Amino acid sequence: MPFSLQIGLIGASVLSLAFVLWSVVKNKMNIHYAMVWIIWGMAMVAISLFPQLIFMASRLLSIEMPVNTVFLIMIFLLYCLSFYVFIKLSKHNEEIINLNYEIAVLKKQLEDLKHHHD
Amino acid sequence: MKTLIIIPAYNEQANIKSLIEDITSYGYDYLIINDSSTDDTEKIIRENNYHFLDLPINVGIAGVTRIGFKYAYDHNYDCAVCIDGDGQHQPKYVHTLINEISNGYDYVVGSRFVNRLKPASLRMIGSRIICFFIKLKTGVKVTDPTSGMRALGKKVIADFAQNMNFYAEPDTLCYTLHHGYKVKEVQVEMKEREGGESYFANPFKSIKFMLGVLLSIIFVQW
Repeated sequence: MPFSLQIGLIGASVLSLAFVLWSVVKNKMNIHYAMVWIIWGMAMVAISLFPQLIFMASRLLSIEMPVNTVFLIMIFLLYCLSFYVFIKLSKHNEEIINLNYEIAVLKKQLEDLKHHHD
Repeated sequence: MKTLIIIPAYNEQANIKSLIEDITSYGYDYLIINDSSTDDTEKIIRENNYHFLDLPINVGIAGVTRIGFKYAYDHNYDCAVCIDGDGQHQPKYVHTLINEISNGYDYVVGSRFVNRLKPASLRMIGSRIICFFIKLKTGVKVTDPTSGMRALGKKVIADFAQNMNFYAEPDTLCYTLHHGYKVKEVQVEMKEREGGESYFANPFKSIKFMLGVLLSIIFVQW
């Protein structure tokens, strides 16, 4: 790998990690969600510092072109992550329906009480 | 038998008043669920002092019916009947559904085609495809799987109030058949909608509906 490319990758991954950390703090991202992004950011820095990791993994998986290993890992991670988000989203949907119900019932009871008083 | 009529309403200002007057003339308990309508539905409901739940967040028809079943469950109703807020379901047929629930059925569907022939429109081709898959999965022949006019007995109310994951009416019907509930279809007439626009006027939404229902029947409802 050309040295200039590696320098670029290191710069980009460090910047990405810095951006993630900065956003997490600034937007008060919930730590449970921030975790995976911080770990992933650090892993990217590690890979750009030690590209041998990818070459080793390629040999282990019998993948001819190391770049395909990078794609494989990244796409699979993204796939898992977005699936996790869908699961979370569907749970939140459920919770919204339940909360909606509770609030609507409370509102009704409150209004009925008011009618009684008037 | 303690019966609750559940009426989901989203932007039904044109239909809601005549529907509720019709329902109250039969003396049924009813509950309108206003799914954060953006028109004057809420105003009309308040002016006439109708019974209603006012949802603070729009959750869509599936969420609304589920909330209706939760309410029926929490208030210990023996039977819950769903009637669309758009005026196509006629309250005069509600008693035939309730009768079958008191005869021991768990889930009764108001069908347009029990003793009437299904027309050969594009929409009915969709209906036939759904019937085919329900037959394939449960072995039961149904006539009107997309009918939203249905009555639930106590067991089904309890089941749906606690866990409900349906795309629409057909997979709900498939679930009840698959879970061994006693299901019956009774003949009813339905009116053309009086106001507002049908969901199926949009062909993309029709395709999405078919896909969602079929995937749910085949893969999700066990």
